[in-house]
Amino acid sequence: MIYLLLLPAFIMLVLSFWNLEKSKFVLPATSLLILYPSIKLFFLPKPYKIWGEYLVADDLSAYIMLVSSIVAISVTLAVSTLGLHVKISNNAYVKFYRFFALFWIGLTLSIVANNMGIYWIGLETATLSTVYMIKTNSTVMARKEAWNYMIVGAIAISLILFGIILIYASAKPILGERAIDFSALLLNAKQIKSPFLFEIGFAITTLGMFIKMGFFPMNLWLANIERASFYPVAALFSGILESAVMIGFFKFSRIASVVNSAHVFIFVFIYTILTIFIVSFLIYRAKDFMRLFSLSGVEHMALIALFWASGGVFAALLHFGAHAFLKPALFLSTGILESRGKYRIAGALRGYSGIKGKAFYFLTGIFLLAIVSAPPSPMFFSELYGFASMVELAKTNKHLLLMISAIILLLILLSIIFYKFIEIYQSMKYEGIEKKKVVYGNEVLALIIFAVSLIALLTPWSFEFLRGIS
Amino acid sequence: MTSLLIGLFLATLIVALFTMRLYRLILWYSLNSLTLALLAITIGINIDDNAMIISGFLTLVLKAFLIPYILKRVSIRFDLSRQIEPNIPVHYSVILVPALLVFTFYLSEPITNMISSNTNDVAISISALFLSLLLMMEHRNIAPKIIGFLTIENSLFLLGTTATNVMPMLIELGIFFDLLMAIVIVNLLFGHDDEEVAE
Repeated sequence: MIYLLLLPAFIMLVLSFWNLEKSKFVLPATSLLILYPSIKLFFLPKPYKIWGEYLVADDLSAYIMLVSSIVAISVTLAVSTLGLHVKISNNAYVKFYRFFALFWIGLTLSIVANNMGIYWIGLETATLSTVYMIKTNSTVMARKEAWNYMIVGAIAISLILFGIILIYASAKPILGERAIDFSALLLNAKQIKSPFLFEIGFAITTLGMFIKMGFFPMNLWLANIERASFYPVAALFSGILESAVMIGFFKFSRIASVVNSAHVFIFVFIYTILTIFIVSFLIYRAKDFMRLFSLSGVEHMALIALFWASGGVFAALLHFGAHAFLKPALFLSTGILESRGKYRIAGALRGYSGIKGKAFYFLTGIFLLAIVSAPPSPMFFSELYGFASMVELAKTNKHLLLMISAIILLLILLSIIFYKFIEIYQSMKYEGIEKKKVVYGNEVLALIIFAVSLIALLTPWSFEFLRGIS
Repeated sequence: MTSLLIGLFLATLIVALFTMRLYRLILWYSLNSLTLALLAITIGINIDDNAMIISGFLTLVLKAFLIPYILKRVSIRFDLSRQIEPNIPVHYSVILVPALLVFTFYLSEPITNMISSNTNDVAISISALFLSLLLMMEHRNIAPKIIGFLTIENSLFLLGTTATNVMPMLIELGIFFDLLMAIVIVNLLFGHDDEEVAE
């Protein structure tokens, strides 16, 4: 199984060394190969040992693997016409794929890792390969942001390793070398003799992950990077890299909740509310698509973490899946809207004709409305279930009034974001002048894949599967 | 012997914080890695752990010699500025560094209380981590920031060694691999800049 999971990335890596005109069409086709092992992994009995105790797939990792594979296929499909929207050399094209392959290898390892060390190594590999992917855009701003990403990413990833060392040190007296395994830690979390050391480790690891996802106080760095890089990089960031970081948070917090669930909740609750508070005002002031979607990504990640920590596993995973499909779709749409760097929000959606143009116009509008949780978006349901789980949690610990106040505050903040998105949507649709614009078949196909995946998330079968993940 | 090497590790890091020349900074990084390698080999021999001894030798070859050599080659090739004046003036750093050391010792006390052995070594590792972060933040030039990142890796290696009595070998190898990859990326980032200038 491990060979099948890593095969597309390795083929891509090898092909990227041939600087051929045709390779940019062969490379996206290669990504389709990931679908077979991802689907197979999804249906295999769990836990499934991919490589001893090091890589073990459970329902959670199989779900995230499948979601990430769909995102990767759609993004690579859209990348083949990147050169028609932005100025990029053939050499930069294949280099983008070379580092995308490394990125993919790192993320696959992170997603299915049962070992904290391997999880970290995968995440570090993905982080470092992204640095060069940002740099494929040959502007001064992209160069500056690539270095910034290297520095901030290094600090975040170092904090994660620092936390992992402390967690390992806290559990080693009872588990020996197995203290590095997520599954062993989860089974024996109650027996950890120094829970304080474990919790410090968890807090530091979580802090590193939150920095990587652009949480408070590092809210703007991710938006700057996504603005500076080519749009497929932003799509990969939001659809796959953040998913790999989030699965780490899921796994670490699951263990930490066994040690002391109240501490985990309070830590995540304060951190995420603070993040959403700041991000909602930043969104209100955002003046371009990329920053808008990037900041909205931070808001959604904070909501996922909050729902998860409140015990709303189903809500968190539904929101996670919807975000993983919607955000890359919007980033790809943004790239098309901003073709050759000429874009204005007013009238951005006007001027698309023909079947492909109309489909693009329709899908982008739908995605814009879906990201602000307009029904029947999966986000609408996930937020309902998420807030319900927060209330349920408050009932058990007698802080109902405080929790309802927090939910009301969150709803006010979300309504600010909703207002901004609707204002932009109307401006894109009804204002400005109409100019003829072009969209390509593969790009529409990528958006259709995202739309179908979103619909699949809403089926009773998906709901049942997500409810089964504990 | 272990205490002496840990002391030297911290000392090389502190001197690196006051350095204002790039090659000298690379030299201090190299010496910092050398003390770390000797420490890992000594601990490995003391506890009879072959994996630790291998990690020590890898540190010696990669971090003490190969990476400083590559960094120096990169700085010559891309004509990086050799004057690396820190944002924080040295006379402030003289006060800041000991204050940071005392602060981190105090801050790490609850953590070290939980660890049965090598408590002082763990506290020094955490201090080293904070000092490495300071090294990364106090410079505006990119080269010292990279060295700051590399010293963070060294501090984490020291923490892993002292707090857990050796991390699993597979993880150590993975970290070495990522470190090498980081150097390749740094080289490519500088290299690409050079290509663009040429164009």
